[in-house]
Amino acid sequence: MTDEKTMIQIKDLTRYYKSGMGVVKALDGVSLKIEKGEFIAIMGASGSGKTTMLRILGLLDKPTKGEYTINNLNVVHLPEEERSYYRLTQLGYVFQDYALINEMSASENVYILSLMEGKSKKESISTAHEALVNVGLGDKGKRIPDQLSGGEKQRVAVARAIAKKPKILFADEPCANLDTHTSEQVLDVFKILNEKFGQTIVMVTHEAWHTKYVSRVIKLRDGKIVGDLRRRKN
Amino acid sequence: MFDDIRVGILSAKSSIKRGNKKTLAFIIFVLALIFVNLLFLPSMIGGLMGMFTGFMQYPYGDIVVEPSGDNVYINNADNVLQKVRAVQDVTFATKRLDAGASIQYKQKVVGSSIIGILPSEEYGISNYPFIITEGEFLGDLSQDEIIIGAMLVEGYFGSEIYDNLGEIKVGSFVNVTYSNGVVRKYKVKGIMEGTFELVDLNALVHYKEIKDVFGVDEGKATSVVVRVKNPDDAAKVKEKIIAVGVKEPVFTADEKSDALMRQAMQSIGMINVVSKYVSLIIGAALILIIVYINVLNRKREIGILKAVGITPRSIVISYAFISMFYVSMGILAGLVLYFASMFYFTVNPVTFYDTITIIPEIQVGLLINSIFTMLIMSVIAVILPAWRVSKESILKAIWGR
Repeated sequence: MTDEKTMIQIKDLTRYYKSGMGVVKALDGVSLKIEKGEFIAIMGASGSGKTTMLRILGLLDKPTKGEYTINNLNVVHLPEEERSYYRLTQLGYVFQDYALINEMSASENVYILSLMEGKSKKESISTAHEALVNVGLGDKGKRIPDQLSGGEKQRVAVARAIAKKPKILFADEPCANLDTHTSEQVLDVFKILNEKFGQTIVMVTHEAWHTKYVSRVIKLRDGKIVGDLRRRKN
Repeated sequence: MFDDIRVGILSAKSSIKRGNKKTLAFIIFVLALIFVNLLFLPSMIGGLMGMFTGFMQYPYGDIVVEPSGDNVYINNADNVLQKVRAVQDVTFATKRLDAGASIQYKQKVVGSSIIGILPSEEYGISNYPFIITEGEFLGDLSQDEIIIGAMLVEGYFGSEIYDNLGEIKVGSFVNVTYSNGVVRKYKVKGIMEGTFELVDLNALVHYKEIKDVFGVDEGKATSVVVRVKNPDDAAKVKEKIIAVGVKEPVFTADEKSDALMRQAMQSIGMINVVSKYVSLIIGAALILIIVYINVLNRKREIGILKAVGITPRSIVISYAFISMFYVSMGILAGLVLYFASMFYFTVNPVTFYDTITIIPEIQVGLLINSIFTMLIMSVIAVILPAWRVSKESILKAIWGR
């Protein structure tokens, strides 16, 4: 049982992949508790299991074994339809490579989720616009991804993830393809969301300087947690 | 479900609006060809069957009443005509008197059937009045005049195969010796060409000529030829004719067609049906391939949509809309292609032996059928691949693992 402050709890989370004749232990019995309003960076070298962990936390993948609860709800064994609904209504996910639909405008990429939630088209467009304004792209809603820079694309992806005001925002190396200045813009958006709206954020990164934005850093190595540091608030 | 449809429409609309226009044009072009393939051959075969059916209508109309037993004549032909004309769906009916004869022109003699007709009634019965290539058709007051079939005249199609009368002209005089030995001299009023032996090896005279030659009374006929509103209903109308008390044997043109012709028609009909099914299977397979490739090309997009919470149902609906759009455009383009080709082949018919021409037949039923078939195929073809991909794991769809 978790307390009211706890947003995410994982116990003995394990993910094995079959690789050729052998088995790769991408996550090897990870246990962790994340509280509401935390901004966490998961760090580690390539192959340490950070992306695997984020995909499981974001309900994009299932663990081989272990427990995973969000707000006291065990989500491991939810049927696919409920996992999909949960992703739609409770979680936001920012992909490393933006993962925008190229044939949809920035606004459509964002408001399609509100439509799926059952909101009216007008309300959905308005929500999308608000989210795009929050990431500094209020005037670029009609552009398709090909007409946007890398940083703008990533901010559209962030807008899509935050428009529905998710309980948890997951971001998988959101600045991997961005220059320092654009990375700062994206991380500033995360910081505002976290500090102003109390948004819980779990971000995978391998850049040490990103840690200045977060409240907690979890280090992974070979599928195991080898460090859990909380930053003191200034 | 309503939200699934809204999301499906948005996704489909943006995909069509901002997708690759060249690819879209190519897909529509291929679908248009599939559509034309469903229609073109059946239309040509339809034209061919229509041509054969048209041939059979010269001697038999849609229905023919013939003398019973060993009788040479229908003795009460006017009475039969009266009954037949009163039957619903009968449009025209006439009596004819046929006789065997030999026709002589200069030194040449050929055997032929001479058909005694009532000229003005033939306009509603057969194409005889409309196939006069030289001279004129008979009139109700025609006397001592004859129409000669083209295959009996040197130089016409088929005349080289059969005995002919040489270079006979309109205005020439021929001697006709009837089977009872009576000889009559007729002036050639016209030459008819139906590009069919049953027509072009015969000759036409006025009904009164045969009546006088054989000394039979006004009520006699060797056949009563009937046309009906819809030739496909000939069998039903035949039953009605029997039901109103016509005692003589009644046949549909189909029944009177000789075995070879019937077999040919059945074979052509069979080829038509088989070609329709083959076209349908090829069409379904091609639509499936086009849609499948389209879906596979968007596998990553489908994975992304699933990852952010869009339901597989929305994704399938989206592809169903896209597929229906492609197919609808394909049908429209196909209709343009089809009507253009039909127009071309109507103006420039496929011709055999310089005279037999096949004009394609536009079958409205087949057209509607093909449109619905294509639309239904488009939905069926999309469901399987789209559903399969939408059910694939998100990781595999986006990152291929």
